[in-house]
Amino acid sequence: MRRAKVIGVVTKGSLVEGVEMKLAPDQSVEDVKAGKFVVIEGEKNEFFSMITDIRLDATSSDILVHPPDGDGLMKDVLKGTSTYATVCLRPMLMLRKGGRSSTELRPVKSVPAHFSRVREAKEEDVGRVFGSEEMGPQYFQIGTPLDMETPVCLNLDRFIERSNGIFGKTGTGKTFLTRLVLSGLIRQGKAVTLVFDMHNEYGYSAMKESSEGARGFVKGLKQLFGNKVALFSLDPESTRARGVNPDHEVYISYDQVQVEDIAILQDELRLNPTAIESAHLLYAMYRRHWLRELLSKDGDEVKELAEQVGAHKESLAALHRKLKRFEHFPFMVHILREGDAIDRMMEYIDRGIHIVLEFGRQTSMLAYLLVANIIARRIHEKYVEKSEKYFATQRPEDEPRQLVLVLEEAHKFLNPVAAKQTAFGQIAREMRKYYVSLLVIDQRPSGIDEEVMSQIGTKIVALLNDERDIQAVLTGVSNSSGLRSVLASLDSKQQVLVLGHAVPMPVVVRTRDYDEKFYREVTRTQVAEDLEKEIEILYGEGG
Amino acid sequence: MSPEYLAEVVESSTTVFTAQCWELHNSPPFGSLVRVDSDPPVFGVVSDVATRSIEPGRRPVAYGIPEEQLREEQPQIFELLRTEFEAVIVGYEDSPYIRQFLPPHPPRIHSFVRPCSKDEVRTFTGQWDFLRMLLSAPRVPTDELIIAAVRSAFEAWDRDRNYLVRAGKELSRLLKNDYERLGSLVRRISQ
Repeated sequence: MRRAKVIGVVTKGSLVEGVEMKLAPDQSVEDVKAGKFVVIEGEKNEFFSMITDIRLDATSSDILVHPPDGDGLMKDVLKGTSTYATVCLRPMLMLRKGGRSSTELRPVKSVPAHFSRVREAKEEDVGRVFGSEEMGPQYFQIGTPLDMETPVCLNLDRFIERSNGIFGKTGTGKTFLTRLVLSGLIRQGKAVTLVFDMHNEYGYSAMKESSEGARGFVKGLKQLFGNKVALFSLDPESTRARGVNPDHEVYISYDQVQVEDIAILQDELRLNPTAIESAHLLYAMYRRHWLRELLSKDGDEVKELAEQVGAHKESLAALHRKLKRFEHFPFMVHILREGDAIDRMMEYIDRGIHIVLEFGRQTSMLAYLLVANIIARRIHEKYVEKSEKYFATQRPEDEPRQLVLVLEEAHKFLNPVAAKQTAFGQIAREMRKYYVSLLVIDQRPSGIDEEVMSQIGTKIVALLNDERDIQAVLTGVSNSSGLRSVLASLDSKQQVLVLGHAVPMPVVVRTRDYDEKFYREVTRTQVAEDLEKEIEILYGEGG
Repeated sequence: MSPEYLAEVVESSTTVFTAQCWELHNSPPFGSLVRVDSDPPVFGVVSDVATRSIEPGRRPVAYGIPEEQLREEQPQIFELLRTEFEAVIVGYEDSPYIRQFLPPHPPRIHSFVRPCSKDEVRTFTGQWDFLRMLLSAPRVPTDELIIAAVRSAFEAWDRDRNYLVRAGKELSRLLKNDYERLGSLVRRISQ
């Protein structure tokens, strides 16, 4: 076993502001990185900590006024004694010395004594804190800490208990991360996921982004997990063009559109509040046929309709004009010939099959908002129904499966205005009560309603630069000041800060590669299961 | 009598002793470490070397001829001169340890003095408290003495640069905020 290097001693500290360490003179300050995982060996406890800030200090201001020059002997003499580096640490967890298991981990309630040694974390420290895949299926390896090879695991059981978020500015690998996390969820099989795949990146083969400019394709979830994943498509042609038949084609009838669905499109369609009022009036008269009725009219008929329902003529005309755009969507139909796609989705969900809903070429924000909201609203209604039933009967077989809705461009649904209207906002707030939670993916977390943000359990955050975004991500995180600098100093690729419910302490990880090795690992148990099933079919149970 | 001895203590106190060299001009170098084989054996750093007439009232006269010639013509005048050196006491041997603080007894008069061997210098200068003793020694050119002492130890350490760095760090601790002085010491030590 490698002996861990002592990198300094604790010199100062407070529970509120964290601990300061004087870097050992033989350590180069440039080897110390923000976000690194270190262990402080106190007298009675070990403190698992993260490096949050690094500062250069000098005992005398004269040194700084007349910096040493020449052959560097003076520099070496001063290094570590008169000029030294102070490293700020944030203790995150403490463990009684000699304690082995991660269940003994406690939140930090004290600070380490003066001159406690600080050492680099060893491999087994990481295992003790984050668990490992050998400890059970709920542990899913997401990557490794900075400069280390031991895997950091997410506790998926805890992950699905709450809504979660993956944030990061464009090009930081949010999609890759999401694919990783989804693979973990699918492999574990406790929760079912429904992915609103706006850019067709999850289902079947997606473009690989690479910093070296080399492009290629990576496997989608359908390729990895076969019949555990169902592909639904709003644009079957596009799905087929990529070489796969969707399991189901999705059509939405005009009768399925409710006024609330239009209300969240206010921004997108530039509707004014009177237009929404008019829609309500229409609904009062025609009930669920209101949209079909409106779109079937033309020219002067619209004005007549306005008179008939008592709406403002111009605003109804505007509503009519703008909603006409729906007729260009190939997935909007008058009659559902193949049954209700959402009912089919529910069937799949009940069977524990994960769904990827591809939008194909329907990549307009309008289509995405409309469809995602209609589906989420319906599914949410059904889940509330199921949950209420379960609460009434309390029979285990009635317990609904935990459902995770995966949502890109989440701020469109969860901004302070929309969060009050959309089903997503409701799901985010109600949390797990009705067995539905969200996995929101966004590059602009500051656009998401604060109330929703504070309900997010686990946050996986790639590089963010905007101060407001960083602020938003750290909402509801105690002692967030140190994490701020860590967040701003992440690499732009493959580095994320994971914090919240599913990890015992915030940690910066280098995410694992999404490559052949990963494919093999996540599908390994899958193959074994399939084999077992075949054996069962061939030889009968217990055979 | 072992041949390496070269002087004899003629004046002694707790902090400093004076030794007279048996041969004229044969003093150990300024700043070098010497050892008095007394009880206990005492270590000192040569802090002043002087050659003068034995009789305080008689000054040597300038003859205006080279030393070799003078020695041939008037050998007796060299007998009237003595080389003496003063050494600051920086520690003693408390076998098997080397102590870097003042000995319980000063070296005895007429004890013999010899320069320390390379190994002895290395053992002694492996600790750093002697620098503090030099810094606080009275009536010596402190900075010059420290420069000379560290340079001579540096030779014994085979001119290992790490030794200089460590010495510098020690001095920077001792001199606290006197960065200017530290700079001048380090600069001259490394020349």
